[in-house]
Amino acid sequence: MFYWSLIIILLGIYSAYIFGKSRITSNSRQLEIKTASLPTYYAQYIMVWCLLPALIVYFGWIIFEDQIIQNLVLANFDFDLNPALNASLLIAEIKNVALSDSFAEGKAIEILNAAEHYASIKYVSSISFYLSILIVMILGVMFASRKLQPSFRAQQSIENYVKYFLFFCSSVAVLTTVGIVFSLLFESLRFFSDVSVFEFLFGTKWYPYIPIREGQSGSQGSFGAVPIFAGTFLIMIVAMCVATPIGLFTAIYLAEYASPRVRRIIKPLLEILAGVPTIVYGFFAFVTVAPFVKTFGQSIGIDASPTSALAAGLVMGIMIIPFISSLSDDVINSVPQSLREGSLGIGANKAETIKRVILPAALPGIVGAFLLGVSRAIGETMIVVVAAGTAPNLTANPFENVTTVTVQIVIALIGDQEFDDPRTLSAFALGLVLFVITLILNIFALRIVKKYRERYE
Amino acid sequence: MNNVKVSTKNVNVHYGTKQALHRVTLDINEKEVTALIGPSGCGKSTFLRCINRMNDLIDICKVDGSITVDNEEIISDEVDVVSLRSKIGMVFQKPNPFPKSIFDNVAYGPTIHGIVETKTDLEEIVHSSLKRAGLLKEVKDRLHEPGTSLSGGQQQRLCIARAIAVNPDIILMDEPCSALDPIATATIEELIDELKNKYTIVIVTHSMQQAARVSQRTGFFHLGELVETGETQKIFTNPENEKTQGYITGRFG
Repeated sequence: MFYWSLIIILLGIYSAYIFGKSRITSNSRQLEIKTASLPTYYAQYIMVWCLLPALIVYFGWIIFEDQIIQNLVLANFDFDLNPALNASLLIAEIKNVALSDSFAEGKAIEILNAAEHYASIKYVSSISFYLSILIVMILGVMFASRKLQPSFRAQQSIENYVKYFLFFCSSVAVLTTVGIVFSLLFESLRFFSDVSVFEFLFGTKWYPYIPIREGQSGSQGSFGAVPIFAGTFLIMIVAMCVATPIGLFTAIYLAEYASPRVRRIIKPLLEILAGVPTIVYGFFAFVTVAPFVKTFGQSIGIDASPTSALAAGLVMGIMIIPFISSLSDDVINSVPQSLREGSLGIGANKAETIKRVILPAALPGIVGAFLLGVSRAIGETMIVVVAAGTAPNLTANPFENVTTVTVQIVIALIGDQEFDDPRTLSAFALGLVLFVITLILNIFALRIVKKYRERYE
Repeated sequence: MNNVKVSTKNVNVHYGTKQALHRVTLDINEKEVTALIGPSGCGKSTFLRCINRMNDLIDICKVDGSITVDNEEIISDEVDVVSLRSKIGMVFQKPNPFPKSIFDNVAYGPTIHGIVETKTDLEEIVHSSLKRAGLLKEVKDRLHEPGTSLSGGQQQRLCIARAIAVNPDIILMDEPCSALDPIATATIEELIDELKNKYTIVIVTHSMQQAARVSQRTGFFHLGELVETGETQKIFTNPENEKTQGYITGRFG
C-alpha cells in the first residue's frame, strides 16, 4: 500500500507539472500575453496543489484507518460470548487470523468470521484509498488550473508556499518540544498523585520500592530525589573541573600557539575523541580509572569504593574536553586579527594579549561551550551506570558511590513493572525536573551571552 | 635638519617566495610626519610593519637588511620585541578598540607595562592621553561605556589615545583615515599635526592630498621599491622621478 501510493503520488505530481507547463504556455500563446512569471512557476503551482491534498489524504488515512476498521469489526462482534476477552487482545487476534491461515486453526467460529469481516473491510479500504488519492489530486489540479492565466503571478505564490513550508519545518522542532513537555508533565502528574511533590523534591531517601502485597515485610518505598540530584551535581562538578581548564587550554594552544601542522593533526584527533561511544568511556572508567581512584584514595587514607563519583566524573570530563576545546577554538579563531595586532602593537606580549583581549572578546562563546558541556554532563548516562554505581547516596565525598538522574530513569524503565507503578512513573518526574533544570541553565546562558554581546559589539 | 630617528638600509621582505620589498633605504626624522604613498600592493604597509616587527606575526614573512631605531639594530633575534613595540605605537586602518570600556582601552598599555603605581596615576594618564587625542571632551562622561559604542572617527582617536598612553617615541599609522568620513578625517589630520611636536610619525596613506597636508617628508613606493623620497613640498611640486610625477598627477596608480 505504501509503495504503490507513493508511485501514484509521484506520477500524479509529475503529470501535473507537465500539464501546468504546457497549459500556461498555450494559454499565453493564445492570448498573446507574456506570462507574469516563468512557466516553471505555474507548473510548480499546479504541482503544489496536486501534492498537498494527496499528502493530507495519505497521512489522514494512515492515522485513522486502523482505528476505524477496528471499530467497525468490533461493532459487529458479540462480546457476550467471551467476556474475559480484552478488546485490544481480541483485535490483535483477529488481525493475526486475517493475515495468516496458520493462526486460524482451533479458533472460535466468531473469531474466524470477524477475521473474514476484517479482511474484506481492509480490501475495500485499500481500494478506496488509491481512489481517493487520485480524486483529490485531480480536484486539486482542476481547482488550481483556473489560475493558469498569464496575468497570475505564479512566482510570488510559490515563494509564499515555500515560506509556509519553511515555517512548517521550523515549527516541527518546537511542536515536538511542546509534545515532550506535555507527555512528561502528564506522567509526572500521575506520579505526584502517589508521591507528594514535597517529598520528591526535598526528601533525602531514594528507595523506590513499594510493597506488592499488603503487610509485606520491608519498609515503605520512599521517593526523595535529593540524593540523585546531589549525585548528578557532584559528577557534573568533577567533570567540568576536568573538562573546562583542559578544554580551554587546548583551545588556546590550538588557536594561538600551535603551528598549522600540529593543528592539522590535533584537531581531527580531538574530534575523533568526541565520536567515541560513551559506553566505551564507561569501560575505560570502570576498568582503568576506578581502580586507580581506589588505590589513590587508599594512599591518602580515604576508603574509596570500587566505583565512585570521581572515576565517573574524571572520565566524563575527558569525554567533554573535545566539545569545549573545539567550540572555544572556533570562537577564539573568530576574534578579529586586528585586536591581536592592536594589543601586540602596544607592546603587550602574547600571554597578556590572550588573557586580557582575546579571552574577554571570546567569552560569550566560551560560556556557551561551557554550558553545552554542562548539559552533556547532566545528560550523560552510560559512564555513570558503569563507573559510579547505582546507589543513591547523599554525599559530597567523590570517592563514594553515587547515582544520577539519567541512571535512575534507566533503572526505573527497565524491568517488568506495571506502568502505573510509582517506581516507573518516577522516571517521568525525574525527567521533568531534569528538563526544567537544563531549561533554566539555557536561559541563564543566553542571558549571559546577551549581556556580553551588548557590551562588546 | 632634525635628527634621524629610524634608519633603514637595504631592507628586503619576502612573503614565501615572493619578494615584497626591494632594498628599501630610508631615513625617518624625529618629530616629523613622514608619509608613505604609492599604489595598492606597493609594499608601503609592509614597510611600516617592519619598523615595529609586526611582520613577525606572519609565519611566511622574512625580513632582512638593517633597521635602526635610535641607532639600535632591530632586525635581530636578540631584540626584545615587546619593549620595542612599547616604544612604537601603531594605529591601524580599521579602528580596532578592544571589547572593553573606553577607560580600559586607554589604560591597557600603561597597566601591562607597569608604568603606573596608583589608580590616580592611571586615571591621570588616561585623561591626558584622551585629551591629547582630542577625545576627552566627547567621552569624559561615559568612560565606562564600551569603546565599540563610539563612532568610527572617535574609535580611531581612541586607538590613538591608546597608543600614546604608553608614551611611545614613534607612532606608525597604517591608512588611519581610510575607513572614516571627511569630517572625521579632518579631525584626525589636525590631531596628527599636533602630535608631531612630541612624536615621530610615519603614516601610510592612499590620499595624496592627505600626505601633502600632514607630512613634512614623503616617500613614494612602487612595486616594492622606494622610488623617491624627499621633502613633501618638493615631491609634490617638483619630483625627480618620472613615476612619481605620474602617480601624483594621477596618470597611474
